Amino acid sequence: MKLLLLFLLFFLPLQDKISVENAWMRNASKGMNSALYFSLKNNSDKADVLYQVESSAAELVQIHETYEDGEMTGMREVKEIVIEPNSVFNFKPRSHHIMLIRLKKDLKEGSEEEITLHFKNAGPIKFKAQVRKVN
Amino acid sequence: MRILKTLFFLLIIYLLNGCNNPLPKETVISDSFKLLNQDSAAVVFPDDYKGKIVVAGFIFTNCPDICPMTIHNMQLIQKRIKEENINNVQFVAISFDPLRDTPSVLKQQAEIREVDQKNFSFLTGRKKEIDILLNEMNVNAFTGDTTYTEDGNPVYFFVHTDRISLVDQQGRIRKEYSGSRINIEEIISDIKYLGE
Repeated sequence: MKLLLLFLLFFLPLQDKISVENAWMRNASKGMNSALYFSLKNNSDKADVLYQVESSAAELVQIHETYEDGEMTGMREVKEIVIEPNSVFNFKPRSHHIMLIRLKKDLKEGSEEEITLHFKNAGPIKFKAQVRKVN
Repeated sequence: MRILKTLFFLLIIYLLNGCNNPLPKETVISDSFKLLNQDSAAVVFPDDYKGKIVVAGFIFTNCPDICPMTIHNMQLIQKRIKEENINNVQFVAISFDPLRDTPSVLKQQAEIREVDQKNFSFLTGRKKEIDILLNEMNVNAFTGDTTYTEDGNPVYFFVHTDRISLVDQQGRIRKEYSGSRINIEEIISDIKYLGE
């Protein structure tokens, strides 16, 4: 029995504490800005905090939110995002997104970029986001 | 008494007509604006488009979230116009960031968004000219927070009206819509009304 438990512990795949789904970024030219969107799923019983995002595709990467005030709309930086236990947080158009500022190269439709998210509990999580032109 | 009846009858007719008019707004753009398009060709707005229905969107190219949706919506309207064989419609995306949105930057934007530029122009101009135009078009845009890249270059974004405006053949603003959320069927119906 003990052997079986050890086997399960070491060889069966464990679910990631945080998983990233449906990651995509908007196509854009070198020198301009793009936005990255995805869903973050917190599979654990503890809240976690996204506090930094890295990408070699841009000079500056920030967590942003789009906000509305009547007919006016704008964007502002958000220092961190709390992902509640067993929940999904969506980064989506007209809402929270990752700003890729001053792109170092053209982001062409169909290409992929590696992104690293940094969480207070789960640590760094790497994934690839596909460049799309959908709106 | 007969006069009163006639006046009452005329009032009813007037009210019924008013209710049937989907575009009661008629704001005259009272000035002419010397602008440049994405090919650096001079455009006088709205004079050069008199006689055409104009779909005018307001954007800045460093905006990666809301403005691409406005441009995309204008492309959807342009596609519907073409499918329905509606002629005489011009599309203009006016930048409220003329200091960065030069004609070459606008050309790059038109190409990366795969805009059919046959009847779709991106417009920029001198800042003072653009500011007056925005005021005429009831659009607000001002710079929000500024941050800096590692090499000290400032990065700024705009807080702005999310807007597409419909301008009639006489250069009058007839309706205003949310640029990123516009109901395509609604503006197509309004364009058809203006074209009748």
